[in-house]
Amino acid sequence: MNSIIFNLLIGLGIGSLYAALGAGLVVSYKGSGVVNFAHGAMAMYGMFTFDTAWNRGELFLPWCDFLPTHTVNLPVRITLDSDGSWPMIPSLILALGMSVLIGLAAHFLVFRPLRNAAPLGKVVASVGFTLYLQGVALINFGNSFPQPKSIVPDEPLKNFLGLGKAFPQNTVWVVGFTVLLGAVLWGIYRFTRFGLATRAAAGNEKGAILLGYSPQRLAALNWVLASVTATLAAIIVGPIQGTITPIGLTALIVPALAAALIGGLRSIPIAVAGGLALGAVQTLLDLKKSSWFTGPLTWLQDGVRNVIPLIVIIVVLVLRGKSLPIRGTVEEKRLPLAPMPKRQIEHTLFWITGLTVFAFIFENAGPLTIFAGSIQTGLVFAIIMLSIVLLTGYVGQISLAQMSFAGMAAFFMARMMADGIGRGSNLVPVTGPGLPWPIAAILGVAAAVIVGLLLGLPAVRIRGVQLAVVTIAFAISLQSLYLENDELTQLRAGVPAYVKEPNLFGLSIGARSDRQLNERPAFVIFGAVLLALCAIAVANIRRTGVGRRFLAVRANERAASAAGINVSRTKLLAFGLSAAIAGIGGVMLGFKQVEVSSANFVYGLSLSLLAFAYLGGITSINGALFGGAVFAGSVVPTFSNYFLKGTNMDRYLTVLGGFFMIVTAIVHPEGAARFFQGGMGYAGNWLVSVIPGARTLRDAREGPRRKVVNAILAVLLFGFALWIYNAQFIDSNTVWVIVSLLIFWALAVIAAVILGGIAPTFGEAGRGWVGWFTKFGPAALVGYVAGWIVWPIRVDDYSKLWMPLLGAGIALFVRSLYRQIRYGRPDMHAPTPEAANDVPVTAEVG
Amino acid sequence: MALLESRGLTVSYGGLHANDQVDIDITEGKLVGLIGPNGAGKTTFIDAITGFTPLSAGTVTFDGVDLEGKSPDERAHLGLTRTFQSLELFEDLTVRDNLMAAAEKARWNSFITDILMPGRGERAYQQQVDEALDALDLAEHADRLPSDMSHGQRKLIGVARALAARPKLVLLDEPAAGLDTQESQKLGFKLREFLSSGMSLFLIDHDMGLVLNVCDYIYVLDFGRIIAHGTPAEVRKDPTVIAAYLGESAGEAQASAGTALNTATEEQS
Repeated sequence: MNSIIFNLLIGLGIGSLYAALGAGLVVSYKGSGVVNFAHGAMAMYGMFTFDTAWNRGELFLPWCDFLPTHTVNLPVRITLDSDGSWPMIPSLILALGMSVLIGLAAHFLVFRPLRNAAPLGKVVASVGFTLYLQGVALINFGNSFPQPKSIVPDEPLKNFLGLGKAFPQNTVWVVGFTVLLGAVLWGIYRFTRFGLATRAAAGNEKGAILLGYSPQRLAALNWVLASVTATLAAIIVGPIQGTITPIGLTALIVPALAAALIGGLRSIPIAVAGGLALGAVQTLLDLKKSSWFTGPLTWLQDGVRNVIPLIVIIVVLVLRGKSLPIRGTVEEKRLPLAPMPKRQIEHTLFWITGLTVFAFIFENAGPLTIFAGSIQTGLVFAIIMLSIVLLTGYVGQISLAQMSFAGMAAFFMARMMADGIGRGSNLVPVTGPGLPWPIAAILGVAAAVIVGLLLGLPAVRIRGVQLAVVTIAFAISLQSLYLENDELTQLRAGVPAYVKEPNLFGLSIGARSDRQLNERPAFVIFGAVLLALCAIAVANIRRTGVGRRFLAVRANERAASAAGINVSRTKLLAFGLSAAIAGIGGVMLGFKQVEVSSANFVYGLSLSLLAFAYLGGITSINGALFGGAVFAGSVVPTFSNYFLKGTNMDRYLTVLGGFFMIVTAIVHPEGAARFFQGGMGYAGNWLVSVIPGARTLRDAREGPRRKVVNAILAVLLFGFALWIYNAQFIDSNTVWVIVSLLIFWALAVIAAVILGGIAPTFGEAGRGWVGWFTKFGPAALVGYVAGWIVWPIRVDDYSKLWMPLLGAGIALFVRSLYRQIRYGRPDMHAPTPEAANDVPVTAEVG
Repeated sequence: MALLESRGLTVSYGGLHANDQVDIDITEGKLVGLIGPNGAGKTTFIDAITGFTPLSAGTVTFDGVDLEGKSPDERAHLGLTRTFQSLELFEDLTVRDNLMAAAEKARWNSFITDILMPGRGERAYQQQVDEALDALDLAEHADRLPSDMSHGQRKLIGVARALAARPKLVLLDEPAAGLDTQESQKLGFKLREFLSSGMSLFLIDHDMGLVLNVCDYIYVLDFGRIIAHGTPAEVRKDPTVIAAYLGESAGEAQASAGTALNTATEEQS
């Protein structure tokens, strides 16, 4: 008994971290109605500011020089003391100043502009803020984090309270600090005018305005308060939990959320008590797990401590979800419209052909072979992002667990393939039925569906941000209960699971060939076909009854059930389908990597995935494709890495992703795909009008002979692809491109002649070109020349090509911005020249 | 036996009886109205019948089925649909899709059909939806989004959505609020037309002109209790009704006009 009490008391140490952060979450929720997923990250930045000032004598401002070339030369690092350390008290003051700055930034730059946005927008923005701070911290503070010195005494107390064991003294200090912090915050809200006004504004924003309070100013103050308490907590209590890393501190958000929910997002004393209790129980379970979980429960040993917050969160939300305060804002915006997918067959053909061509071109292209691998990565993540489009975009259920579904599928598949022989880098044998790959893959996807339905159950009662909280807790639980659980996977910590290579009728369609690079084109075709099938499935869902029910539930659950739609079943169906698609993505990731480790499926990736899906456009299939293309390791980052030589774009991807997520949430919730689509549509129309023969083909497609035309087009495309693949013997790229285009043009003309008539005539086509040049030429030319003048700044071979094009793109963008301001916003639905101008810029964003 | 019968229907919030021992019969093929001053418990009654508010006591039978324990969507499948005072349209769907969502009867496997053979499942419902669109003159707006349309038209979409499922009984919660007199009269004509196609209607409204003119039978609710019922002519003469409600007709008319105006401006802003 004594040992139980002792362990509980030890646990109060980590509990006070949860408690202090939980109290901060309550503060920011009171102030602005935002469940702040970035709370841990905010604490982290303040904490590291303190640490580097105190121990290294340096200060890093909360941004990074985002151009890897340091062309902009933003001030980032400030040396405070060349001796390498600064006194403690000024460091502390400096860190608190930094946290004030971050709190103000969170309010003014992120959440104030989003005060009327849909809940998803706020979640995405706070996830974006998390990614931003995390990314900046990794770039500024580096990867090695010294164990920070504790600022409270930490000699052990002997025979503490007569329990007969030495007790860490710092636990006593931090618990005292946390209780004091809770008491002070409670006092502030209970007895000061500011506290009263905040509570009033939280209850009724309009009423508070009428009484002469500015809710936004109150919110700003509350954000500062939340940020400062978070930093203080991380500085004082943080060292108690061992090594501190940006990711680790950010992850504390889950138990902190559990604590805040115990307090009903309202009561600070209860949140503090809840956080302390949570820490105590967790530590107790952790220290006692080997004696309590034995026999059939042995598998629970590893994950049980992370399951506690999940259970607490679900119980609290299911029991009192309705009584949690919801801020009555004036008007809440809805999610962006989900566009109706059009011309699926054409898109499918186009993408599969295009991807196949690229896959063959880069199959064995020396240093360019990395592009083949990046296409594979892009395909896998595009599939997983489709699952987000379905679940979050169509049904409005915010899920931060998509990567867990993928992981479930991949790991279950790997286990079903295992045959008791150690393979790959895992030499310890893993027992298993040794099933062939298709069956194992299907079983893996089925496992993901079961897990998805399981997560769908709480979604029946819980919605919006609260559901997001449940899903992130679920993701962390699944990670430690299954993916990292060596009882279940038979893999020692960190060792990847082996996945058999898939083959079809004896033909290998695995990702790696003998060269051990991820480059086999067959895998790209495999992936592209699966992606196309998933995309068509999602498109069919959007176009038919299921999709109508999904969108009806998203729009209005009350009205949906009055219209005879079973809301619970619809949500479960969405979770199941989404998990199936994510599972397919996970299985493909397994095939691509040949070995999967739990690190491939950490919950943090789910956050990034949601972020990039949102960036691309969470309600459209194109958004998922765009998101897949700009995701880490995928096509756009790899290309940028290659062209901006040696800059390691991936390092900046988190920062840029987070930043652009916030911008997207505020400025353009429809996502980048919308711009992209408009531009593509415009470019397509333009191409059709200037390529002789193309218009005939297009017109004929709408006529009675469309089947013939489709057949001709398919033959054309595949013939063209074949030509490109076989034309590698031409040395000069320019010649290669020109000959390819000529052949394509000739084929188009022949096809058009067969169908009768060439339109437009050469004269018309010429006029089209001239018109285009007079319209955009001057601006583009100015930009091009400017870029050409500036290019020597970047001293490498590519800049000569790259910078003038960039300049021309920027010039066109500025032109379109100018025209937007001068002549009003163009219609977003129609492809306009302005939309086309945005294309180069959007492309650079990634 | 009437299509819908409520017996001793009581809905209490704490100590307050929003509906107290309400007995209402809705006969098949008739238009039954429910009137009462603001806060009399009219919407609560519809909520209770359609399963949005739990009953504290009493029973509701619809078409011979006891509705106890049935969820709103199950009641809709039985043929009992409703409109909302605050519209509650599916703003992200076009007008036609709003109706389609309500018309389609989903089975457990319909998602498979929809994914593999898109369009096959919906043919049966297209005609039903077209009829509902035609009935309310919305056919030309079928592909527009509700948010692009006027308040009056949005009201009609709400009614059309309730009709699209070919229900046996439609409960209309203030369909004329926010409509001008002419639109309201037109709606009245339409409602009578629906009756002839074998549907029954139940109408709540503030617009006394509409209720007294189109209804076959009227219940009067005050403070959660039925204080009178009868044909429009009988209700008009009933002294309790005049005292409770119609007596202050001038003031009430003004008040309701004012409310309607407020709702309209709020919706538009």
